[in-house]
Amino acid sequence: MSVSSAGENVVGILRQERSGGALQDQVAQLFVESRQDVYRYLLTLGLHPPKAQEAVQEVFLRLYVTLKKGEKIENPRGWVFRVAHNYGLKVRARQASETPFDPALEACLVAPTGDPESGLLERERMSRFHRAVEGLSDQQKRCLFLRMEGLRYPEIGSALGISASAVGEFLRRAISRLRKVRSE
Amino acid sequence: MSSLGTQHPEDGLLLRYIDGELSRRKGRQVESHLKACWQCRTEIEELEETVAGCVRYRRNVLQTYLPDPPNPWPDLYREFARIDSSASGESHMVAKQLAARFVALLGRAMVRRWALGAVAALVMVCAVWYQFRETPSVQAAVLLKRAVLAAEAQATPARRVIQIRTKTQKFTRTLGSRRAVAAEASTAPIQAKLQTAHFDWEDPLSAKSYQAWRNGVAAKQDEVTATQASYRIRTVAAEGELASASLVLRTADLRPVEERLEFRDKEWVELTDITDATTRDDGSPVATNVEPPVRPAVPSRLAATLSGPASISDELQVLSALHEIGADLGDPVQVELSGGRVAVGGVGISPERQRQIHDLLDAVPHVTVQFSEPAAATAPAEPASPDIAGAGVAPVGFQARVEKQLGGHAEFEKFSARILDRNEALMSRAYALRRLSERFPADDGLTARDREVLRDMARQHAAALAGEVAAIERALAPLLVSMGGSAVSRPAATHTSWQPATAELFHASHRLEVLVSVLLGVTPGSSATERLPSDLLSAIGEVRANLDSCQRLLGY
Repeated sequence: MSVSSAGENVVGILRQERSGGALQDQVAQLFVESRQDVYRYLLTLGLHPPKAQEAVQEVFLRLYVTLKKGEKIENPRGWVFRVAHNYGLKVRARQASETPFDPALEACLVAPTGDPESGLLERERMSRFHRAVEGLSDQQKRCLFLRMEGLRYPEIGSALGISASAVGEFLRRAISRLRKVRSE
Repeated sequence: MSSLGTQHPEDGLLLRYIDGELSRRKGRQVESHLKACWQCRTEIEELEETVAGCVRYRRNVLQTYLPDPPNPWPDLYREFARIDSSASGESHMVAKQLAARFVALLGRAMVRRWALGAVAALVMVCAVWYQFRETPSVQAAVLLKRAVLAAEAQATPARRVIQIRTKTQKFTRTLGSRRAVAAEASTAPIQAKLQTAHFDWEDPLSAKSYQAWRNGVAAKQDEVTATQASYRIRTVAAEGELASASLVLRTADLRPVEERLEFRDKEWVELTDITDATTRDDGSPVATNVEPPVRPAVPSRLAATLSGPASISDELQVLSALHEIGADLGDPVQVELSGGRVAVGGVGISPERQRQIHDLLDAVPHVTVQFSEPAAATAPAEPASPDIAGAGVAPVGFQARVEKQLGGHAEFEKFSARILDRNEALMSRAYALRRLSERFPADDGLTARDREVLRDMARQHAAALAGEVAAIERALAPLLVSMGGSAVSRPAATHTSWQPATAELFHASHRLEVLVSVLLGVTPGSSATERLPSDLLSAIGEVRANLDSCQRLLGY
């Protein structure tokens, strides 16, 4: 082994020890578990699929860099959604002239399926539910979607820049409206 | 909910309960109530069913119909490697160069047999260098060295005014002036104290003095924090007269602006550079009776203007700085003036907001920023019980009428969301105005400048509130009139100052909020339906009248 490569290896070994292969494994594991959820959340923010996918990768790399710096993150999944939210809004702002992505879920829900009998009632219910969700204010929707992803109120508040009690209020209103769908 | 558990939990509390977002105490109260109350247990079941609906919606709609990613997911490990290599690019280059030189040396047969030892030495050097290159101690040492060099490179100011505070004394020292010598007798104890800690009495607030003391301490621990405006170095010493010291360096020119020395006997000395506040642009001193420094246009200048124990003026500056970043709306940030300091704190503040406030105020002398842990924030503020006397009940038929007027349920939902958002923004301004008027119930005792700062904040809140009420009126008035509503105008009460007027404005805004909630079916009402459109139109008029009165008194 040459001294040059020995030097490189030394730095490599030290670096590996410091950042920890375990850290890479942890971030990679979370990436596998959560990337679809984060991706879908970014679609609901109005990002087009290619941009949303790029953003997901960027967010997880930021997580890696942040953890590597030694910063402590209590709930990495919550952190990922918070950063994804802010990053997603920045991407949207940079493409202000572009129409936000519209997944046309309503059309999907009313489209006939191969098996019209099964789940027709549920599809109708979901269609109504979807219309109610669409009728929520932006903040209510954001709170609801982040809550669906398992974030706690302070984490949602942190992502949206509002207090936990404000999150509680937005969720209360959202749930109150969605309840009406059930009773219809 | 009452402590006796006899009343039903207020709106929203049950959702927080099932989400596990209540404090233990509150959670126990709700639990105990639920054991006794069938109605609330049923309510919980319905909430859970709606939550289950959300879960199904996520699974059956979002997960099913949202498009899949257009490309395969990348191998993240490759990206990790790229990040690692770019982060350590510099160290790689140096290591490569060192290694290359070593190879050249080792190429000579005479030293070849030492190769193994040399590699081992290289390993050690790399390890030590890698481990310690970025520690706070190194950062502190580098920062101090830069500050010393910056001070030496610049012409020393002809005159420097330092304010010195201890537990019992406060005085000003003018360095580089002979007049200062006369006052030295009373400062002898502090001088002696500093000298025991090996601080140069002739130049106490300087990077050089701090560096000299720090270098003399063998066992120490450093901490470096940076904000936009300044660096703060804090050194805790395990030995010697001084237990710890901190030095604040201005980012722009690394000039020391504040220093605090804490002795082992619990005594402390605080030094603040107030030259800028007492010197004209040409360097000449201002008159003895120095006016308080001009209020900073941007918060970062606070550090240079606050001196001595904090006063109402300082508190107003802090409030104004918080107002600039919108931290006085919705966030439960508390500002209190006590013991000569302005304490900024609160519970349930989002981490991002906390960071903003820390960045804004950490470097400001005599301001303490301390927030409670998020866990403590789980107990939400008790919402005020709605004062709905006179509010109309909104039975099913009533809401149906509103929906019909608006063109269907979907339209109603959108309309409702828009109005509720406006309502919330309106209330956040009303709360902010009320907080200001409660904290400063009269203008007496405030300097003209402080009065202006206070009024400026109040004017801005009032203007924003006017925008919200106008938007609500634009949206609601046609609907309410078409439903047979007519406004009964009630003039606002007459006041001689703006503070009591804001209290009236708050009550009017609150009444409007409740009536809007009743109209949209968010809050149950308790009296006649038919009056609701008229009541709402009158409430809007009342807010406008009170707002006009308030703005007039604010000199809008």
